[in-house]
Amino acid sequence: MKATVENPIILVDRISKTFANGVEALRDFSIRVLRREVLVVIGPSGSGKSTFLRCLNGLEEIDRGSIVIDGIPLDDDKKNRLEIRKEVGMVFQSFNLFPHLTVLDNVNLAQVLVRKKRKKAATEASMELLRKVGIPEKARTFPNHLSGGQQQRVAIARALAMKPKVMLFDEATSALDPEMIGEVLDVMKTLAREGMTMVVVTHEMGFAREVSDRVVFMEDGRIIEEGTAEQIFTNPKQERTRDFVSQIL
Amino acid sequence: MNTSVKKSWTAFQRSPLADVSLFLCIVAGLTWLTAHGTSQLGYNWQWYRVPQYLFSLEDSRIIAGPLLKGLMVTFRITAVSLVLCFAFGLLTALMRLSDSFLAKALARAYVELIRNTPLLVQLLFIYFVLGPILDIGRFTAAVLALSLFEGAYASEIFRAGIVSIHHGQWEAAYSLGLKTFDMYRYIILPQAIRRILPPLTGQAVSLIKDSALVSTIAVYDLTMRGQEIIAETYLAFEIWFAVAAIYLVVTVTLSVVVNIMESRFKVAA
Repeated sequence: MKATVENPIILVDRISKTFANGVEALRDFSIRVLRREVLVVIGPSGSGKSTFLRCLNGLEEIDRGSIVIDGIPLDDDKKNRLEIRKEVGMVFQSFNLFPHLTVLDNVNLAQVLVRKKRKKAATEASMELLRKVGIPEKARTFPNHLSGGQQQRVAIARALAMKPKVMLFDEATSALDPEMIGEVLDVMKTLAREGMTMVVVTHEMGFAREVSDRVVFMEDGRIIEEGTAEQIFTNPKQERTRDFVSQIL
Repeated sequence: MNTSVKKSWTAFQRSPLADVSLFLCIVAGLTWLTAHGTSQLGYNWQWYRVPQYLFSLEDSRIIAGPLLKGLMVTFRITAVSLVLCFAFGLLTALMRLSDSFLAKALARAYVELIRNTPLLVQLLFIYFVLGPILDIGRFTAAVLALSLFEGAYASEIFRAGIVSIHHGQWEAAYSLGLKTFDMYRYIILPQAIRRILPPLTGQAVSLIKDSALVSTIAVYDLTMRGQEIIAETYLAFEIWFAVAAIYLVVTVTLSVVVNIMESRFKVAA
């Protein structure tokens, strides 16, 4: 047990990133995420939380520092990068489903092309996941016929189909109408309870309170404070944390 | 009484019937002008002599006349050129979008070279300069010139289509671990092609029209056959009208067919 706790699955060591327009998104940022941990990242817009998330699977390049995911370094080696992309799943704010494919094909595609499964095996696994997220009956429909909440749940199923070791959520509910946020959060909570390692950028404090192991408050590309949800929301130590939390609660 | 008449008139003015009537009036006017103008020249229209160059009946079998034979050659050239044009176009677009400096430079050089020189000059160059060097005949030279020329323009169309795909699609495909080839093949290109079907059709129409230039290197296409007939019969007015009409029929049919295809395969992009 102790060995697992001491064995972080994500090791971020002093990463920095400046965008081409001069904006310093991440400054000397370090963090460790343990297996099965649910890490929630909060902060004002422009704090670098999305950038941090996107660096984790290689969507953004870091200028300095190192990232290691499950023992694989995120460097120039194409094989390493491919491995990491397979092991890290991502759910986007704008869902990014493939509109020209049915829901089932969306969830099947990567299994067939990347995990090299046969279509039949992939379909079985996909239907299982669609049942898990609550919309198996929509398998043959196209994404544009689904509501936002349904689309996001399909996106989660699609990412889960790759059986990743880490799931990243980039403001997964921010583009949803209020009545649909609940259904997506329920899926995310189930995942958390099942022991998935998750890094979640969100404004949903209720979610953080219920299932997170740790909450990190970011501003200006740095971690200002971290602690449990209780600590951060009711007893923030830093003034900037207090200011932010009071605004969103 | 007056207002209801006025209302019907306004309604008529806005209706498609009004547009078509106006169009037909203009066409009739232009036709009359042409007829009147040529009769002033003392020109004797001999339309009855044209059909024999299209086809003739012999023992109740239809034999293609020179114009139709020329059309067949035009079809062959454009068919092969179209396929190659899209192949060159797609390849060039992918090269311009790749990470390789060499690929980008080569693609850019190709497009700039082609777009800044006239097709006729390129055709003559390929036939008279590259022809002897590479030992290629006039049909091959014609196809090569046409496909290289239209391919450069097609590549810009492909590139525009690919770039117009929301970058979230790339990010999702990337996050699932797809390799670049699969990203293009299954995610990006299927969406891009649907978007660029109209300009690609325009490109195909351009190719059909530009194929008339191969007559300058003595390829016996539709235009060349037209020239051949006029040399014998001096029926310049009638034959050129007929040739133009044939090109028109071909390109309009192509456009209509593609439009039907587009609406059959319509999926919200």
